[in-house]
Amino acid sequence: MAAAILELRNLSREVKGRSGEPFVIFRDIDLTVRDGEFLSIVGPSGCGKTTMLRVINGLVPPSDGQIFVDGKEQKGADGELVMGFVFQGAALLPWRTSLSNVLLGLEGRGKSAAESRELARKYLDLVGLAGFEQHYPHELSGGMQQRVNLARALAIEPKILLMDEPFAALDAQTRSFMQLELLRIWSQTRKTVIFVTHMISEAILLSDRVVVFSHRPGRIKADFPVPLARPRDMDVKSDRRFIDLENTVWKLIEEEVKAAGGFAKL
Amino acid sequence: MQFYRKNSRAVNKALSILSGLVLWHFLATVIVADTAFLVSPLAVLAKGYEMLFVTGELYPHILASSGIFLYGYLLSIVVGVPLGFLMAFSPAVRDYAHPWMTTLYTTPRIAFAPVLLLWLGIGAGSKVAIVFLGCVFPILINSYYGMRVVNREFVELARSLRLGRLAVFWKILLPASVPFILAGLRLALGRGLTGVAIAEWFGATAGLGYLVYFAGQTLNVPVLFVGVTVFGLMGILGFEILRKIEVLATPWRSSHSG
Repeated sequence: MAAAILELRNLSREVKGRSGEPFVIFRDIDLTVRDGEFLSIVGPSGCGKTTMLRVINGLVPPSDGQIFVDGKEQKGADGELVMGFVFQGAALLPWRTSLSNVLLGLEGRGKSAAESRELARKYLDLVGLAGFEQHYPHELSGGMQQRVNLARALAIEPKILLMDEPFAALDAQTRSFMQLELLRIWSQTRKTVIFVTHMISEAILLSDRVVVFSHRPGRIKADFPVPLARPRDMDVKSDRRFIDLENTVWKLIEEEVKAAGGFAKL
Repeated sequence: MQFYRKNSRAVNKALSILSGLVLWHFLATVIVADTAFLVSPLAVLAKGYEMLFVTGELYPHILASSGIFLYGYLLSIVVGVPLGFLMAFSPAVRDYAHPWMTTLYTTPRIAFAPVLLLWLGIGAGSKVAIVFLGCVFPILINSYYGMRVVNREFVELARSLRLGRLAVFWKILLPASVPFILAGLRLALGRGLTGVAIAEWFGATAGLGYLVYFAGQTLNVPVLFVGVTVFGLMGILGFEILRKIEVLATPWRSSHSG
């Protein structure tokens, strides 16, 4: 079994509510992610899964707890660049071309310009955008923009890739294709990935492990290994074990939603 | 039809100008029919031709006005853009600058003109100051907002990529605010030309504002209209130059209005 690369200990985040009372977003998260593991987090809307990803990346501070990467504690956004973040909206700078957007994380890191460009090109190739290096974001489709978003996060060669519902804004067909693309890209890079989604089938299809979050305040409610061999394609969706796991996870989420007061309260 | 489809916007613009001129001509020659009030565009054209190519008396006025305008406008950019940025970054600067900015921006500039004349004399200084007062606020306010309304996602992206403060400024905040600054420059253009006209009404001996004022006092209607027309042409020229700059500076925008 591979060594742990990311460890969350007792991680919590609360903010001040409207009338000054504490408002807990997620609480007491203990989670260990192994090197090279693809882990998904699913849960009802507003369960704090996206916020947790942002806390892990240092974009917002935790109110309690610790984050370790390779045994080294992470402190906010001043630390070294060990994580790549794939944003839900592509967050591409409109005044930069695809290539230049991917270069953003590579500039000023002691690499020569030629070296950086080569690296950026390599990852644009990997995500299937060879030939689109000089295109501006407004000239790309939603799916292509997410590919650039992914290439930018991969190009800094992070230890961990954090993906925040990257396919949520895509149409169903494009989304399925992007899932298959991510399976291919992951098999070629074997990055450690934490993937947040509210789509259970997406989580199972992509992951080695699926973690289910409870309703707010978010806690880890269940943690399932995915018993499906790789490489995978869309056919695994008709596998008995896939369907069983999907049902199990769905029941857990339904339970959470009911406990929280029903669908209308989401 | 083919030609129109391809060049519809240019054709529409040309038709709009042409029909305006025809209407003006009709008004001047048929409805008003009194050259003491209104002259036809053809008469303005003839007078303009004469002043440019026969007597050459228009040049010093154009030069004087352009000079005052350019100094005031450029000074506004040099002061307004950095000050707007400073206000965006520092709440203290914002608090100190805000009351003065609001007061100076909303007070009619024409009320300042005699004061500035008193302080700076009737030379170029007071005139540049009046233009400056007109231009600096739209530029300052737009630079400020350009910095403030940068997409939150871009700021998170910068944090995620661990960009330093300088990199955030040069690579994210500054390019994001360019369209806002350009919009401020456009607003400032009209206000700047108004400033030139106001400035030259008081104690000037040359300039288009002086020419218009003097022609008005002496009921020289053709010269009056030549002055107004040249002001208009300067505005159009300024807009076109800014549009070119916009296209060059923001090639990433899908369309450029204009």
